[in-house]
Amino acid sequence: MSSRVCKNCGGTDIDVDQARGDAVCMGCGSVLEDNIIVSEVQFMETGGGGSSAVGQFVAGDASGRNPTFGEGFYTGVGRESRAQTLQNGRRQINTLGHQLQLNQHCLDTAFNFYKMAMCKNLTRGRKVVHVLAACLYLVCRTEGTPLTMAPFSCFSALNSLPRFPLQVNVYVLGKTFLTLARELCINAPAIDPCLYIPRFAHMLEFGEKNHEVSMTALRLLQRMKRDWMHTGRRPSGLCGAALLVAARMHEFRRTIKEIISVVKVCEATLRKRLNEFEDTPTSQLTIEEFMRVDLDQECDPPSFTDGQRKKRLKLEELEKKIGEVQGEIHEYQDEIEMELEQSRPKLRGIYASYAKTDIDDDDDDDDVSLPDWEEREEEELKDVAEHLNRDLCDQLISGEEEEREGKEERPPRRGPSLASLLGPMPTAASLGLPESISKCIGEEKENDGDTENGELDLNGIDDDEIELYILNDKEVKVKTELWLKQNEDYLKEQKEKQERIAKEKELGIYKERKPKISGSKKRAPIHASTADEAIEKMLEQKKISTKINYDILKELNVKPSTSPAPQTAESLKGATPGAQRLTGRYRKPANVPLSLGTPLSTLGKR
Amino acid sequence: MEPSNDVALDIIITNVVAVFRTRCHLNLRTIALEGVNVIYKPEYGKVLMKLRKPRITASIWSSGKIICTGATSEEEAKQGARRLARTLQKLGFKVRFADFKVVNVLAVCSMPFAIRLIDFTKKNRPIASYEPELHPAATYRIKTLKATIQIFSTGSLTVTGPNVQTVATAVEHIYPLLFECQKPLRK
Repeated sequence: MSSRVCKNCGGTDIDVDQARGDAVCMGCGSVLEDNIIVSEVQFMETGGGGSSAVGQFVAGDASGRNPTFGEGFYTGVGRESRAQTLQNGRRQINTLGHQLQLNQHCLDTAFNFYKMAMCKNLTRGRKVVHVLAACLYLVCRTEGTPLTMAPFSCFSALNSLPRFPLQVNVYVLGKTFLTLARELCINAPAIDPCLYIPRFAHMLEFGEKNHEVSMTALRLLQRMKRDWMHTGRRPSGLCGAALLVAARMHEFRRTIKEIISVVKVCEATLRKRLNEFEDTPTSQLTIEEFMRVDLDQECDPPSFTDGQRKKRLKLEELEKKIGEVQGEIHEYQDEIEMELEQSRPKLRGIYASYAKTDIDDDDDDDDVSLPDWEEREEEELKDVAEHLNRDLCDQLISGEEEEREGKEERPPRRGPSLASLLGPMPTAASLGLPESISKCIGEEKENDGDTENGELDLNGIDDDEIELYILNDKEVKVKTELWLKQNEDYLKEQKEKQERIAKEKELGIYKERKPKISGSKKRAPIHASTADEAIEKMLEQKKISTKINYDILKELNVKPSTSPAPQTAESLKGATPGAQRLTGRYRKPANVPLSLGTPLSTLGKR
Repeated sequence: MEPSNDVALDIIITNVVAVFRTRCHLNLRTIALEGVNVIYKPEYGKVLMKLRKPRITASIWSSGKIICTGATSEEEAKQGARRLARTLQKLGFKVRFADFKVVNVLAVCSMPFAIRLIDFTKKNRPIASYEPELHPAATYRIKTLKATIQIFSTGSLTVTGPNVQTVATAVEHIYPLLFECQKPLRK
């Protein structure tokens, strides 16, 4: 105890008695303190004769308040919420754990996971049941206990409500589980279907031959793994198929329904797995061969083979179509040739060189060096035909009308492009060509310089096509009728709601239930004429800091004429009245009346 | 973009999602009654409009926010969005084409080999996760690129990312990792 000074005599000799809890001055004998609060541990006797310490354990992160201080007679009551949640969680974990026959170590680990999840706030926004089930599943995975997600989805909740099995959706559970594993940085090892076999075999009750059937099923499963049937599939489905075959091999008549009830997949899945297994070469072996021999060959994953099959079928169809279209192409080729001969003006001499650039642009034909225009023409025709062929093959399925249009536009294109050639220089022609081509064929170009100011760039948008998107008046009427009929129920609801609101408004009961934006405090609006006034009023309402003396601040604003120089002088004096010091600090620089006399140093100090 | 092998991988973009704002209030009922390919869902408060030329479905809200899905390239998405805005303009609304942004790009890619998913997941924990009970594919999330890749055992990949460049980079990134855990396909 620190030696204090006695109030009566000023003596420093003070005797503190811990047992009696007194502090007495030795000089004058006056009692300075009694009933000193000590920090010691006290013991009391328990029923069986032992002794226990008095007091409660309080968690480090607990809140200070203890509602049962002084009157609590039942220690379970009045604990803070976190402890209650943990207790509740522990209870539920134990219940579910016993249902699934997990040992105590697993349950403890699960509870620890739950505590970690609470600390990281993973329980917020999720149902407690989900989080608990995910914790338990995590434990099972890390321990390697063979449990699928299915049993976790039937969880009976221990609430004040009467017991009912809460069916948790497996995918919801899975999502929670994944989030948990990620946040807690726990790597759950991938589940191996082989682990499930003993469990399911036991549930199918094979009696004495249980072990043999399990071994066969395991062998089958390994074979399936080699044949790439197991990646991406639910392990329970594979187990079901393996067990079914193994049971039949050992002359147990287990129907599909029995297997389904144990393994919890649907019939279609099971059948599919069996079919896939049938496709593998292993299925051709007899039982004895299978037990002895292990085929080296590994199959492709079944989804891959299915995909290949589909592709092959599609190709066959396409080939048929190509054959049909080829015939049509030949017809068009003849037509084009005729048109070209008619429409093209014959060029000779100097203009032949200009015409060369035309070919380069159109037909990817760089090696043309024929001086004669007619020979070049033939080359061009061939290239055109090839190009058209290519186009057709690409656009087979998507409408042949488009192609026909394109082809017909090509012959007239020859005319204008050559006309532009004859006039300007070749450089201009090469620039002009792409534009004319694109215009005629009807391609649409993109412009980069738009959307900066939000204006809609109409370049390249075909207005006529858009007109098609808008109905005319008659159609509008028809559609309105249809729509009203379809949405009658919804419209009725809306009407009723409107009526209800109107009635309530009349009666004055109407409570506008707008979604509350939490955090916005309702304050009276501030009416002020100048900025200073506004700041003043705002500061009044919203006390920003408890350390600022706002009254002095106000005085500053009210008397702007008094120069801050005497105020700074006062603060420099070092007298400790806090108000003056504060004025020095919170002096507003705007209040300094600028004159030639004020030293620049005062202006600099802000 | 090709990886540094002889094989060229075809990355096919199947879906591009873009958003833009018209900066004006839209009356959904008018659009619903006067548009040709329009579905009005009053309970969700939006109108679905489908365009044919770039195959695009757009969700239109009355606040003027529009989400376009179904395009096969970024340019197509922009074109489709502009067409849509033009259509709305013709219906009488003072639309402006503002804040166009491509939000998501979905692409598929096929590897010439099959992949051992369990090996792959073991090597790449915790970036990769594989839950056969929930989904047949392993999910690989690249945080730096904000891209997600779903890897199937047949060697097909589904890549989603904020733009086309990211998608290409993601495929390049993951190719060597997959190459290690491959299993050659016998065709």
